[in-house]
Amino acid sequence: MAGIIAAAAAVSVAALSLTGCGGPDTGNPGPSVQAGSGEGTINVWAVDGQAAENDALKKIISNFETSQNKIKVNLKLFPSDQYTKAVNSAAPGDLPDVLDFDGPTLASFVYNGKMAPLKDSVSEETLSNQTDSIKAQNTVDDAVYGVGMMNAGLALWGNKKLLDSAGVEYPTTPEGAWTAEEFSGVLDKLAAVVPGGKPLDLSEQYGFAGEWGTCCSAGPVIWSGGGTMLKDNKASGALDSEANVKSLTTLASWKKYTDPNADGLAFPNGRVALSWVGHWTYPTYKALGSDLVSIPLPNFGKGTKTASGTFAWGMGATTKNGAASGKFLDFLMSDESVRIYTDANGAPPATKTALSVSNLYGPGKQLQLLGDQLSKACGPEEQITETCVSVTRPVTAGYPIVTDQVGKAEAAIYSGKDAKEALSAAARAIDQNFADNDGYKK
Amino acid sequence: MTTQTQKIPAPAVAPAKRQSSAILTGHRFAGPLFASPALIGLAIFLVAPFVLAVVLSFYRVQLNSPRPARFIGFEQYTRLFTDPDLSAAFGQALLNNFTFALIVVPVQTVLALGLAVLVNRKLRGMVVFRTFIFMPLVFPLALTAVIWRLIYSRGDEGLLNALLGLFSGGALSSHDWLGSPSTALGSIIVMSIWQSVSFQMIIVLAALQSVPTELYEAAALDRANKWQQFINVTVPGIRNTLIFVALITTIFSFRLFDQVYLLSRSGSVDRGSTETVMTQIINTGFDNNNVGQAAAMTVIFMLIITMIAIIQRAAVRQRGGV
Repeated sequence: MAGIIAAAAAVSVAALSLTGCGGPDTGNPGPSVQAGSGEGTINVWAVDGQAAENDALKKIISNFETSQNKIKVNLKLFPSDQYTKAVNSAAPGDLPDVLDFDGPTLASFVYNGKMAPLKDSVSEETLSNQTDSIKAQNTVDDAVYGVGMMNAGLALWGNKKLLDSAGVEYPTTPEGAWTAEEFSGVLDKLAAVVPGGKPLDLSEQYGFAGEWGTCCSAGPVIWSGGGTMLKDNKASGALDSEANVKSLTTLASWKKYTDPNADGLAFPNGRVALSWVGHWTYPTYKALGSDLVSIPLPNFGKGTKTASGTFAWGMGATTKNGAASGKFLDFLMSDESVRIYTDANGAPPATKTALSVSNLYGPGKQLQLLGDQLSKACGPEEQITETCVSVTRPVTAGYPIVTDQVGKAEAAIYSGKDAKEALSAAARAIDQNFADNDGYKK
Repeated sequence: MTTQTQKIPAPAVAPAKRQSSAILTGHRFAGPLFASPALIGLAIFLVAPFVLAVVLSFYRVQLNSPRPARFIGFEQYTRLFTDPDLSAAFGQALLNNFTFALIVVPVQTVLALGLAVLVNRKLRGMVVFRTFIFMPLVFPLALTAVIWRLIYSRGDEGLLNALLGLFSGGALSSHDWLGSPSTALGSIIVMSIWQSVSFQMIIVLAALQSVPTELYEAAALDRANKWQQFINVTVPGIRNTLIFVALITTIFSFRLFDQVYLLSRSGSVDRGSTETVMTQIINTGFDNNNVGQAAAMTVIFMLIITMIAIIQRAAVRQRGGV
């Protein structure tokens, strides 16, 4: 008994303490940036990432401090699972001058008046050097709120030895992507040559009922099939469309070819021939050497699509040191800084000049496909065309409910539930939540 | 509780300080004073949050929203019971909780008793045996969940499927234990019992060892066989402990959270098939940021649990138990 009361209590206490911060009392003053003197100390919040990433960031900061002597940087790192909560629970006035943020959280931060537009602080050169896909993620209501050093992309990683032994020809450009039907045939052929008879890894270990499902598993399938998650801020009529029902049912039909990958080693151990995952597994997968190939995700009718977007940098809404912060952001986006950072974590660079000379993603390099995909940016889902490839996740402050419901629906469909039913229920839940919040419009 | 604590300190302190009336008035406050730390704790951590949950459930509150909370009366409750999606989901979660409790409480209590009787024998090496049975409880749940995911993994890669395939000659070898809605909850029940039965066993074991051996000797003189001894001496001797064990197992069953969260959120499992009220509350409140709705669910759940506790206590009292 006491346990239940305590648990219930914990829920409501946590709820209250959080609403207290983001709730009615704080109001929404909107951005009030002061340019300041352009010198002094700026405070920076960032995610405590991989050790190599943190070292790279510290190195970039020390380079910045030695390159000039007027601006000092005070860096504070937060554990990654607490970071978004920390920003969410800070009042706009408590936020630092410069902060890291995850792509899909930006719209919510802007909605809460926590971010400042970068137009007058960051140089025009820096803004125009951003690749289109990262720019789409960092733009809310036509204003740019962030700049990114790195991006993220998806691909099918292939084991060339297994593909060759099954006699499978694979595409190397987004235009040549397998259609969904062709892909089913490929899986049939591959099933004969892999040890367990299950040649595909869909990264189930990340869990479909979460962000992986929305961004990287259901997302590309929905977009490639010509559907969207939202249309005019409504999910009914978009998420539960016939196109989405068809695409996600096709995805679920591949379950019989799919290794559950509970140990995360299906691809490196050679149990599967194809792995549907992001660029971040490259450091592990590169052990395959020249047998590692990257293949575009299957085309469900409207061209292959990948999700894009990841952590980027922006300015706190009430910074008193906008000019100095802008200079720091300019420095972060310089070719040298981007090179140091993306070398450390293997991510595709998000600036045009750095991407073109990248050792991994540049022309003729091993992951050129991922680089190409990112330079063919669609922008947000309503602007998808046949030829663009990388899509930005829905930019709305209601993203938490969208991602929760889409992931949940995908998991349900994948485990055999009727797709129309699952998607309609998800759409109704999203629309209800949007209606409760007046569509998350300002 | 307050009246008791008032009585106890009074005679102990009174004789020495009889002179001072100022201190005498202090006596009147001694009881509440001694009780206050516990009472304040209860108020802050139990009463206040519950009252706040009740208040929140009448509002439309979204986390991370600049919009002020809006008073909406009973809307959150009517939605929970009339909205076809929400009521189905909430009903399913409640059903999962009850199914879990209905299976786990009797099975786990009987199993704990059986194991306790087993390890209560005075054989050589029993300490090692006991240690092994107790081990699942020592490992963190997050760790055991990883192992159980490998056990339940679908295809012939899963340990359970591999074992079944071996015994059935390959006929049963590819069931998706967690992914298939018909076995998902059952899988969680099995893992849950495996994980926590040893805790109940230890409690029963302690009770078993406190049953006087003379009773067994007397029963043996009356030519009671082992089974009769068990029914007529052992079970009555540890009756109160068994009731206690059944009670706490019921409580654990209703606040079921970790197992579900760890086993089914990872992987490609249909959440609806294993969702419990606790996972649903967390999901609604912190993934969907819909605090008002989550608060309403908390209040209803609390009422249901209170009812169960009252019924259970009444039933136990009637039979002269604790």
